[in-house]
Amino acid sequence: MAKKLSAGSMASLIGAAALIFASIKFPWWGMKFFAPQYPEGLDIIVYPSTLDGDIDIVNGLNHYIGMAEFSNESFPELQYLPGLIIGLAVIFIIIALLRRKSLLFVPVGLLVVGGALGIYDMNRWLTKFGTELDPKAPIELEPFVPPIIGENILANFVTHSYFTTGSFLLGAAFLLTLLPFWLERRK
Amino acid sequence: MKKWVPAASGLLAGFMAATVFFADFSTGPKGTASNDNNANKSNAEKVYVPYGELDEYYMLSSGGHSGQLFVYGLPSMRKIRTVPVFSPDPATGYGFDTKTKEMLGGYTWGDFHHPAISETNGEYDGKFVFANDVANNRIGVVDLSNFHTADIMEMPNMGGPHAGTFVTQNTEYIVMPTRFSVPIGKEYAPLDEFEEKYKGVVSMVTFDQEKKKLDMSYQIMLPPWSYDLSDAGKKVSGDWIVMTTYNTEFATTNNEINASQNDRDYIVLLNWKELEKKVAAGEYEEVNGAKMIDPRKHKGSIYAVPVAKSPHGVDVTPDGTRFIASGKLAPLMTVFSFEKAFEAIKSGDFETEKFGIPVLPYDKIVEREVDPPGALGPLHTQFDDRGNAYNTMFISSEIVKWKIDTGEILDRTPVHYSPGHSTATEGDTASPDGKWIVSLNKIAKDNFLSVGPSHPESMELIDISGDKMSLTYTAPVDPEPHYAQTIHRDKIKTIKIYEKDEKREHSVWKQEDTRIERKGNEVHVYGIAMRSKFVFDAKAKRPDEIKVNQGDKVIIHLTNIDLDQDITHGFGIMDHDLNYEVQPGQTSTIEFTAEKAGTFPIYCTNFCSALHQEMSGYLLVEPK
Ligand SMILES: [Cu+2]
Repeated sequence: MAKKLSAGSMASLIGAAALIFASIKFPWWGMKFFAPQYPEGLDIIVYPSTLDGDIDIVNGLNHYIGMAEFSNESFPELQYLPGLIIGLAVIFIIIALLRRKSLLFVPVGLLVVGGALGIYDMNRWLTKFGTELDPKAPIELEPFVPPIIGENILANFVTHSYFTTGSFLLGAAFLLTLLPFWLERRK
Repeated sequence: MKKWVPAASGLLAGFMAATVFFADFSTGPKGTASNDNNANKSNAEKVYVPYGELDEYYMLSSGGHSGQLFVYGLPSMRKIRTVPVFSPDPATGYGFDTKTKEMLGGYTWGDFHHPAISETNGEYDGKFVFANDVANNRIGVVDLSNFHTADIMEMPNMGGPHAGTFVTQNTEYIVMPTRFSVPIGKEYAPLDEFEEKYKGVVSMVTFDQEKKKLDMSYQIMLPPWSYDLSDAGKKVSGDWIVMTTYNTEFATTNNEINASQNDRDYIVLLNWKELEKKVAAGEYEEVNGAKMIDPRKHKGSIYAVPVAKSPHGVDVTPDGTRFIASGKLAPLMTVFSFEKAFEAIKSGDFETEKFGIPVLPYDKIVEREVDPPGALGPLHTQFDDRGNAYNTMFISSEIVKWKIDTGEILDRTPVHYSPGHSTATEGDTASPDGKWIVSLNKIAKDNFLSVGPSHPESMELIDISGDKMSLTYTAPVDPEPHYAQTIHRDKIKTIKIYEKDEKREHSVWKQEDTRIERKGNEVHVYGIAMRSKFVFDAKAKRPDEIKVNQGDKVIIHLTNIDLDQDITHGFGIMDHDLNYEVQPGQTSTIEFTAEKAGTFPIYCTNFCSALHQEMSGYLLVEPK
């Protein structure tokens, strides 16, 4: 039987679980829009469980170009994402408690796969909203896909998409899942 | 001989030509308008508020017989908003929608004179501004969170509340003394019975800030004098109000002469705390729905101080220790001491009694008389933070700055022309800012591009921050800025949108909840306005159509569901004299009877978006 994980590695994994768990309470991703008549900017802020920001105002503006309405209902992910996150945190804790070195690949793997799926999903939504525009919309626009990260210009709006606190917590959790590999390297 | 004729005629022709081409044809000597370009340049910088910055002060100015409140930014003097108070305003639908129509009570104008911002500890608190309607005996209140008129109340037994409004130091009362004495209830009484039957009345109004409701607390019955500008005490004098009076002669005709005969008129001192107690103890009569107390029958609450004849303004100093009266016809300012007045009252030191009112001895109450040489027609006093007073001089068209403690004249500056009131920054509070004073001038001929025989009035901005006053800027203004108060912008907290209150009566927040309900011959429309459409009934074939029968009563409740600052929608119905607005998150209602059969376009009257022009619908009235 392989050697047990050190206390440091355990702590690292539990720390990762704590960060993942904490990320539920923080926004993960956001988009901010600026236009001459909105110098203060409009916000879309995405939490794992809900949308926040100036959603109604953005919807009001989007209706000009025939974009579907944003709402919590339009993203079923928001219903089960918190559950997935909690599950992930629990798995991390179990692995920490089992103290089996061979299981160290599981957290890293889960985060890599989860992250990739998440980004794929986001891109899918952005493509859907940006390209499936109502043909009867008052203003006709070429279909477009807003970037997941970075600046974009659409009509008179400059948009900035960005990852924020929750995602950074996940990133930190990812580093904490890598840390045991280094801690256990000589054993 | 012949030789000098051509020479002389040549010379004459030369002079003629020179005169025609180069002479200055203006007649007489010139005045001394400022041509100092350097001074003007720095003045321009003082009033220029660049893009992205905001003015430091709100100036809330009365609109006189326009019945409106004018809101200016200082120091730019840009007009920011016109708030209708006593007059309807199609631009905002004020007086057209059901609520404001009821508030105006059938009147289409009022004479708004003296705005008074609500106070806490003698300081403006920026919550509300009160206004008097001299013409129709009303008081109005504007909510400074949205600059909308919140309530209007008609007051019985009054003959024009000109001497208000002013508030006691914690807005316990909004006070309005009457200008014209009338018989109680305005009943018929010949002018020969003026002295017995006519009364001057002071209204003591309270305001419930939660419910935004005005209420008449009690009224004070006084001799039939005319009451002019008045003020409330502060700190040591906080329980008192001071009022100027004229027409102690009881003149009933040709007042200009007959009301100016007595050498002395009076300042009336009223102790409202004392009167409040007596009213609470039931010492009043019910008169036309008001609790009326005659202070002459209740000793200890009213006194008179003789003052140079026909005084106009009386103002309490920021520290509350003195009151300054300005004699319109006896051109001097008189500084009276509250403390000395209280002493005289305490020791019962009365000169005489007039009309049942104890008269305090002038010589013992007066602190000093201030008579700037050649200054004529002092009207009103404002204050700075350094112990100085500023008086407008109506006749000599100037503002005089003087030291309250010594009476020393420190500076004088001409204004153009005939200033009535002036407003200094926080200039009638317990702690004036001493930065600017605006002279509200009645006449401005020649100062602006001509618009015919009648010229605009003007407001002149004067920098009072230094030792010397400096005339900085001038702006024309609609008739008639009467008085103004200038409040620091930090004290006013406006709302951005109306809260989305799903329980609000008649409000609809989702398109699918819109509906048109018929109850007998009443048609109730529960609609929404949003960029860029009206929805009256989402399930109908045409959601933006209102179809009624001729003779139906139509009630349209409209909610603006664009919860986005500044996205206001209008609602105009063609050929119906109807237009009203809904601000973001607001629900407004109009009612009318569809008397005319026909087809009437409805459209959004308030520019709201790129597709504003497309925001329309139809009112179809089917003939009987
Ligand atoms: Cu509109």
